Amino acid sequence: MSQQVLSKDNSILEAKGLTRRFGGLVAVNNVSFSVQKHEIFGLIGPNGAGKTTLFNLITCLLPPSSGQLIYEGEKISQLRPHQVASKGISRTFQNIRLFGELSALENVMIGRHIHSRNIHPVAALVSGMLALPVANQQEKETKQKALELLEMMGLNDRTNEKAKNFPYGDQRRLEIARALALEPQILLLDEPAAGMNPNEKHQLSEFIREIRDRFNLTIILIEHHVPLVMGLCDRIAVLDFGQLIALGEPAVVRNDPAVIEAYLGDD
Amino acid sequence: MAEFLNTYGPLIVSMVLGALLGLSLYLPLMTGQLSLASPGFYALGGYIAAILSTQVFPTNEGSFPIPLLLLEMLIAAIVSGILGVLVGIPALRLRGIYLALATIAFVEILRVLSLNLEITGGAVGIFGIPQPFASPIEYLWVALPLLLISMFLLYRLEIIRFGRAFVAIREDELAAGAMGINPTYYKVLAFTLGSILAGVAGALSAHFLNTWNARQGTFDASIIYLTSVLIGGSRTFVGPVLGGMVFTALPEILRAVAETPGLPIWLAQLLRDGRLIVFGVLIVLGTIFFPQGLVTPDLLKKIKRQEQ
Repeated sequence: MSQQVLSKDNSILEAKGLTRRFGGLVAVNNVSFSVQKHEIFGLIGPNGAGKTTLFNLITCLLPPSSGQLIYEGEKISQLRPHQVASKGISRTFQNIRLFGELSALENVMIGRHIHSRNIHPVAALVSGMLALPVANQQEKETKQKALELLEMMGLNDRTNEKAKNFPYGDQRRLEIARALALEPQILLLDEPAAGMNPNEKHQLSEFIREIRDRFNLTIILIEHHVPLVMGLCDRIAVLDFGQLIALGEPAVVRNDPAVIEAYLGDD
Repeated sequence: MAEFLNTYGPLIVSMVLGALLGLSLYLPLMTGQLSLASPGFYALGGYIAAILSTQVFPTNEGSFPIPLLLLEMLIAAIVSGILGVLVGIPALRLRGIYLALATIAFVEILRVLSLNLEITGGAVGIFGIPQPFASPIEYLWVALPLLLISMFLLYRLEIIRFGRAFVAIREDELAAGAMGINPTYYKVLAFTLGSILAGVAGALSAHFLNTWNARQGTFDASIIYLTSVLIGGSRTFVGPVLGGMVFTALPEILRAVAETPGLPIWLAQLLRDGRLIVFGVLIVLGTIFFPQGLVTPDLLKKIKRQEQ
């Protein structure tokens, strides 16, 4: 596995000198790395290190001030968020952004948006509004897929409940189900274990491995909980004040003096 | 019965047209976009019908042929749809109050144009629009099916992929984008569908009102239909339909109440002439106490459950 991971040809996402400035603040400063296919890639760093900004750059919510992002050999930094999502990069949000007024089922069905039959949009609109069989069949498929995902996340008993009424942990799970509904190549998880107890964190880490294998995903995750990241990730990148200060396998990163200094401070 | 229909026929048809206009405002609101452009397209549709029926189509004796009326409505739909896309693409780059302002400006531009163009009859407008029906109540033969079809299409729209995309944008545009939904595309689509509906309603209204001028579809009308959507409910198509009907009838009801003997003069006058004040107050109170309107999806679910 690790041999395959390190082979250069297997890169799915590559950042080259990625920089993002907000006025005078350089949130992400000349960051370069490459993520391998099927890898679980951890992103850690103190608060304000630029982790979420980096996620926003990868999903094109923000344009980079300079630098390039290359996804499967294609430059993506000039695309719009929905285009990147359609190409197979899906994400969750640090501060959970579900469609609160909608049911869990509808949330996941919206995640299936890009997987509609390949017919002209006008034809799709008209056939849908007139309840033609072709549209009903498609809706049924969408619903079926969404229900499967909800069942996998253990949320199948409350599919019609509003997302905003779900407890915090279940909202996180629902958001992952919605992100998986896109059938992405790369799944970005922004602090998936936030607010979970140690037992739940352990389960989550098992679960992330499981979905990686089951859906053949590449996973990039931001996480503060160091033991979880160390146990789960194939490689870890450490950001501090926008700069990449270390990158490598967990055992190497853990003993890196720069990382220790960033986390513990310089005496 | 006949007397009732003669007295209230015009009001009933107006209520159906009000419901259609409520729906036309509701469509962009499904994507969370507060557009007040509907009255502009309503006015446009009316002028299309008025000009076609008085100047283009042969005006022979007897009643105006209904197929021609339907043809006018179709033409109004197409023109409004095209203009909807053209206006929608730049306007929907704006958000919130800025979009509302831009659409108010659009309505004003159309109003000033119609006041000054020869083809629209200037300030006088267009008179003697031919009648396809013998009495006002008979307009229901066209208006009611139009409303029922629109309601069915909107009911369907809400439960298919397109409606979900609309609502996803309303709930969280950024997250919708992350789901692969192109926000601009769906906002323009919703706006255009609303424009088409308003244009069709306008074409029918021109015949119904017999005369069409620059006072149709003004900012005042925007406020009335905005009230009907915001109070009626902006989360399900049932809200604007009921709201549109109630708020079209409300001025008449207030006028009747104003006739009650013993009312202070100022109150009677407010009830008679102050409908815009009343509507304004309702918008403020409604948005504070019923941010989703009175008819909400939850309420409909509750009613359904009780029926079972």
